[in-house]
This record gives sequence, C-alpha cells and structure tokens, in this order.
Amino acid sequence: MRRQLIWLLLIISAPYLVVGCAGVDYVSVAHSGLKVAGKAVEASRPISDPEEYYVGRAVAARILSTYPLYQDTQLTLYVNEVGQTVARKSSRPNPYRGYHFAVLDTTEVNAFACPGGIIFVTRGLIKTCANEDELAAVLAHEVGHVANKDGINSISKARWTEVLTTMGTEAAKQFAGPAGSLVTLFEGSIDDVFKTIVVSGYSRSAEAAADQDAVNTLSRAGYDPGAMAALLTKMAAGDKGSGGIFKTHPPTSERLAKVKAQGAEGPPSKEMATRTKRFQSQKL
Amino acid sequence: MFRKEDMASFPEVSAIQTGLGKEAVVRRPAFVRKPALWLMVLGLAAWLLGPAPGWGETLKVTQSNQSLYPSADFAGTPIGPVPMGAEVSVVEKAGEWYKVEYQGKTGWLPRQAFPAPQTGSKFPLGGILFGGPVKETKSDEVALAGKGFTPEVESVYRQKHPEMQFAQVDRVEANRVDEAQMQAFIKEGGLRP
Repeated sequence: MRRQLIWLLLIISAPYLVVGCAGVDYVSVAHSGLKVAGKAVEASRPISDPEEYYVGRAVAARILSTYPLYQDTQLTLYVNEVGQTVARKSSRPNPYRGYHFAVLDTTEVNAFACPGGIIFVTRGLIKTCANEDELAAVLAHEVGHVANKDGINSISKARWTEVLTTMGTEAAKQFAGPAGSLVTLFEGSIDDVFKTIVVSGYSRSAEAAADQDAVNTLSRAGYDPGAMAALLTKMAAGDKGSGGIFKTHPPTSERLAKVKAQGAEGPPSKEMATRTKRFQSQKL
Repeated sequence: MFRKEDMASFPEVSAIQTGLGKEAVVRRPAFVRKPALWLMVLGLAAWLLGPAPGWGETLKVTQSNQSLYPSADFAGTPIGPVPMGAEVSVVEKAGEWYKVEYQGKTGWLPRQAFPAPQTGSKFPLGGILFGGPVKETKSDEVALAGKGFTPEVESVYRQKHPEMQFAQVDRVEANRVDEAQMQAFIKEGGLRP
C-alpha cells in the first residue's frame, strides 16, 4: 500500500520534477508552445460574426458617403417592418446585431446588402415595386445575400490569410503595431466588399441562390412568392443594362427564367389588398 | 527482502524458493487483486476528466435578437424572445440546435446563441499541472484573441477616414421595430409571425 502511495505521488509530481530540474524557462517554452498551437488553430478560422459586423458597418458608412439617407421616418419604419417580417423567416434570422433597413435618397434602381445585416434599398427601386409583396421580394433577396454571407465572402482569401498572419505575428506587435497593420487590412477588406456589392456585383450563382432564398422566404412569411417573378418581369422590361441594379446583377430575363422554373407563382391572398394599400400610403 | 515469517501478513504475496536458497517474491498487480476498486478509481477519473455533459446544464445566452422556436427550424413561429444574458436550462442538444427551458417555456434556440461549447474536461488539468493561463498584454489581446476586426480597429479607421458616414450608420442601427408593433403589422397584413 505504501509503495502504491509512493508511485501515485511520483506520477502526480512528475511534471513539477521535470520542470524543477530543467529550470523555469521550460514553463515559458511550454506556454509558447500552447500559444503557437493556438495561433495555428486561429490561422484556419473563418471570419467571425462580430468581424463581419464591423466590416459591414464600414461598408455601410462608405455607401452612405455616396448616397444620402432618405429622411422620411414613416417610410423608414415601414421598410423596417417589411424587412423584419421576411428576415425572421430567412435561413439566418439572427445575425450578430440583427437586421437594419434604410432607404437611400436616389432615383437609381438598386439595393445593397452590407455584411452583418444592414440593408439599403433606394427610393428608385421602391418606386419600381407595385405593392408590399414586391418590396418584400427585394428585401428578402438582400437578406438572402446576408444569410449566404456573399458580401463578407468577397474578401479575398489572400487578404484574410494576411489578417490572420498579422494577428499571430509577434513582429507585427513589436514593430508595426497590430492596430496599424490590421487597420490597413481592414481598409482592404472594405474595398473588396464595396467593389463587389456596388461596382462589379455578386456571381450569377450567388444571385440565383439569393433569388431562390427570397422565394422560399416570401412563402414562409405569408407573402405571395410570385411577387419575385412579378418584380423581375417588370425589371426585365426596363432592363437597359445601363446602371444601378442592372449593372451589378445578371440579366433580369435570366433570373426571371430561373425563378419561374422554381414554380414560384401563387394566387394572391385576401389580405394582399390591405398590404398594397399600406404600401401605397407611403410617401416616395 | 521479505522473510518467510513476514509472508503471513501479506497473503497477496507469494514467495518462491529458488535453488540457490534465495527467495524471489512475486507480487500480483493491484488491479488483479482488487479489480472492483480499480474500476471505481478509473470510472471516477473518467468522470472527472471527461467532457462535460450537455443535458441539464444551465447556459447563458450571449447573442442578441434570439427567439425561442417550437422546433429546430427558423421557419416556425417563434414562441417568444430570449434576451441576451438570459440563463436557460438545456434539455437536449441536436446538431445546430439546443432544446431549452426558459421562464417555464420549452423551445429551441440555435447553437450560435451560446458561447462555443467547451470540449475539455471539467477541471483544468493543464492549469493544475502547469499553472494558470498566461496573462497577455492589451496589445496581445487585440492581436491574438481571435478578434481581428474590433471596435478598436474601426475607431482607428474612422479617424483615418472622417469622410465615412459612421454617424449615419449609427442612425440606421437605431432603426428598430417594437415587437408589439411587429405583431400588429404582421397580423394586419395576414402574414405569418
């Protein structure tokens, strides 16, 4: 029994004996090893929801330095009510700080989904909509981009790898300063996202996925899923490929064909008249 | 060396008389002599060092905008909101969803509502053996804590780019719809809550 007790004590104290024999430096070596292991894990992680949120805020700030906010409180509230109705039926109803919708004061027909959940729709696009269900289709499409993380995924892989490397590099801390390096990379990331959502647009597959998500979301929320096809039909008629949403999106006829193939047309509900009435009461 | 007369007090030890007149003692391993005791010890160690079970534990909601759902699906009508900081009792874990009890209601919350689950043991053996975690400096925290783009980074960016309309963004983020107002809006439009 005494021998067993001795062995037990030996096993428990072995690490201390090893460390004690070799000196205290081994402790820091062990800790460094753990830190390096932690950084290795860090180097492979995707962008977190809070990081996506901060990139999204900066992208929104840049969009708002180009387009002014439409100041109508009533319309902003209404757009938020419609937006929240579809957002809670999307595949990502709860991003880090929730969804927020706003109207841009421009006649350009366009909408932007910033990473993290800030969504802009222009006055021009709202005017293109005939009713609340079509506005819901626009917002559900943009929510789809947020849910699918299309915006944040447009940050180049090379840049994100550099962000992670900077975060894990002791040299950056000592010489350049982590904040300085990260801010430069933050700027670059905002450029990547801004160029994608405002200048070049998402890929055709991302647009098709967002259209499909929008139809499903409309259906789950109780809106007419056919509103997506109705809106695209209207946009296809005016599709001159000149600018705004026509510049950053695939040809509307192509999108319309895919949505129609989804079989997303249904009879209007009896409350549609109520919804159309409250849409038409908004000042544009 | 054991003497023959000592053997009486150690029944678990058997002595072999060798041809050279010397005695060799053969000790049976402890786990052979008392298997039940050792199984108990091993079981206790596994319980202490094994991963924490999910059932019956209380978790704090760490994300805002959370709602309790009747099934593990966002398409359902939420039972009610669960504010950030609320403590819920976990009934069941199923993939990306946790079935929980909150204020007498049972429903499902997405896994993202909670901090990342701990896969380690209940007791920090590493901490016990090697001491507590390393205390990092504040710059280390910024650089290494897995928070690459932080409010601090945004703050420096804002100083560099005063033309960016962050004040307007704050205004947009202030756009909120009261839950009662949302319910009235949904009901009036014949929509699904």
